[in-house]
Amino acid sequence: MKVLELKNVNKIYNSTEVKVHAVNDVTMDFVEAEFAAIVGPSGSGKTTLLNLIGGLDMPTSGEIIIGGTNLSKLKPSQLIDFRLNNIGFVFQSYNLIPVLTAKENVEFIMTLQKWPEKERDERTFELLWAVGLGDRINSRPTKLSGGQQQRVAVARALASKPKFILADEPTANLDSKAATTLLEIMEKLNHESKITFIFSTHDPRVVKMAHRVITLEDGKVISDDIRELPA
Amino acid sequence: MIWSIAWKNVWRNKKRSLVVIVAVTLGIISGVLLVGIMEGWVKQRLNDAIYNEVSHIQIHNSEFIKNEEIDLTVRNLAEITRSIDSLQEVSGWVKRTKIIAMANTSWANTGVIIYGVDPEKEKQVTEICKKIVQDGGKYLDVQSPGDIMISDKTAEILKLKQYIITDSIIAKLRAEKVTVNVLTKLETLKDMRFRSPKDFREALRKEFSKKELDRFGLFITDKALDYRIRNKVQITTSDMEGTPIQGIFRVCGIYKTTNTGFDQVSVFINTRELANLYGGNDILTHEIAILLNNIDDAGIVKEKLSRISGDNSVMTWKELAPDAAMMNDFMVMYYFIFIGIIMLALAFGIINTMLMAILERTKELGMLMAIGMNRKRIFKMIMLETIFLTIVGAVAGMLSGWAITEVLGKTGIHFTGWGEGFEAIGFAARVYPILTPQFFIFITIMVILTAIISSIWPARKALKLNPVEALRTE
Repeated sequence: MKVLELKNVNKIYNSTEVKVHAVNDVTMDFVEAEFAAIVGPSGSGKTTLLNLIGGLDMPTSGEIIIGGTNLSKLKPSQLIDFRLNNIGFVFQSYNLIPVLTAKENVEFIMTLQKWPEKERDERTFELLWAVGLGDRINSRPTKLSGGQQQRVAVARALASKPKFILADEPTANLDSKAATTLLEIMEKLNHESKITFIFSTHDPRVVKMAHRVITLEDGKVISDDIRELPA
Repeated sequence: MIWSIAWKNVWRNKKRSLVVIVAVTLGIISGVLLVGIMEGWVKQRLNDAIYNEVSHIQIHNSEFIKNEEIDLTVRNLAEITRSIDSLQEVSGWVKRTKIIAMANTSWANTGVIIYGVDPEKEKQVTEICKKIVQDGGKYLDVQSPGDIMISDKTAEILKLKQYIITDSIIAKLRAEKVTVNVLTKLETLKDMRFRSPKDFREALRKEFSKKELDRFGLFITDKALDYRIRNKVQITTSDMEGTPIQGIFRVCGIYKTTNTGFDQVSVFINTRELANLYGGNDILTHEIAILLNNIDDAGIVKEKLSRISGDNSVMTWKELAPDAAMMNDFMVMYYFIFIGIIMLALAFGIINTMLMAILERTKELGMLMAIGMNRKRIFKMIMLETIFLTIVGAVAGMLSGWAITEVLGKTGIHFTGWGEGFEAIGFAARVYPILTPQFFIFITIMVILTAIISSIWPARKALKLNPVEALRTE
């Protein structure tokens, strides 16, 4: 089942001196339970593409359709609510709320979705145990390692039961061991929850584990290698 | 949860938040204290104006208001007094004779207004009987003919107030542990008579060092003060035909209110004694002063009495003491102006702090927007942070201000150096700050308004952030 469709998506930045074609006529689909990596050299348009898919930026032309909804048709306020209910985000520098504990960070997004407290608590515990932090639920981000913080961020991204998760270089700030642990957890969650994960990455470990590798260069898709379709 | 995040965010940068909280606290304390002092002064002035000077209502012959001639007495007196007696709102009333005269002693003279009063009845309406100064004789007594009660200020003008250092005063000062050095210096001033406080202070200044004056000056001045009780005062006025008349009275007591202007001209004589002076068969009534149970009834009572008073003029305290009335009415505006200025200054501090906080948290705010926190919630969070920051300081300020005002309300604040100046315009040199519940309601509303208004700019700034750009910041 398609969760995401991109049709002739272009993103052009017009500065006073140069015109930058950051994303160039990208057309592709993502289906449920994919574990996809978008790779390419710096400046190839990975992050821009992720921002477009995540509804954080609007394409200059083309359509992005998520679960049948064309993002270009949404008003800014509708787009925020759409992101809340359909897209999970994992950022390179974790971006947890420092004044909240791991538990509060995860349940925060469900609070925004107005989940009942009991269900919220259950899902928070379930997710934190799933990312291996069941014993650190009351720790603040400053008391957690980078790898642990990123795992909390993954739990937070999953909390809202999104259609897919966008992870922008999630292992870039982690050491090898923490990165491997994180990737294993993400792959396991992808397998169990059937939620699509889309990474932008330079990390060969991510590329190695991905089921699908999309290579960008100068904003264009130069290869789309589907290694293994999700079961 | 937004409430919880907002509260926790306040304490994220403790030092910075505490600076703002302390600023708000100090601002509120100063506001509470200064309004308390002002309120204390206004209430004291109002109280003194009513209970020492004008009462709640006065009735005069309407011509007497313009020209205080002896023959312009209150008309229809019997009917008016009957009406006053029938009014439930009235707590007490008196009739007075009021004559302009010249008072002379062997050393000086001054113009005065003589109030011919019934000393006992007067106690129902005014508190002058309680204003007799220490060692200043006694209040008027119907049993003592020929007495006159004058003020401390009139005594000073008529040179009936003197400062003198005697052996007995030196002995008293020694008992009060005044240093030997000071007592030795005082010997040089012994038995010298100073007729004004200014001259006495000048003499002390020549003899003593500044430190000695600061420590003992007021104390010595207080002990050396001596009123010439039972001294003769000659009163010169004119009778009903305009013929000059004179009478000799003896000072029985010295009073002092907080209004030097009133004190300077007001002297009191038993109404019967005064009648003997102007030679009338009847006691003249130029003024009826009425005290009510409730100050708010002044307008109603005035209306009732005006209906039957004919040519007489019925005036409330607001017309009789417009300064006190103006101050009383001005208080609300004073609250607005004074607290408004404090709040404006605080608002800039709060806005600055919150803008800094937004700047520091740009990336986090970008993340919140990205994951789906809508504009309404972002606005609410920033607004709550600002309100919490302000309210913490405001509560601390209000509690501290209230505690300080409670203590000072009991001890009073004595503005020693400016006492004469304050009393010249009717304000006491010692003020007892007062705070009313209305003021606390007012300041709470002002604080909340300030917090809300201060939060708008930072919150709008946060809303203008672009999540993609915000996430890129370091």
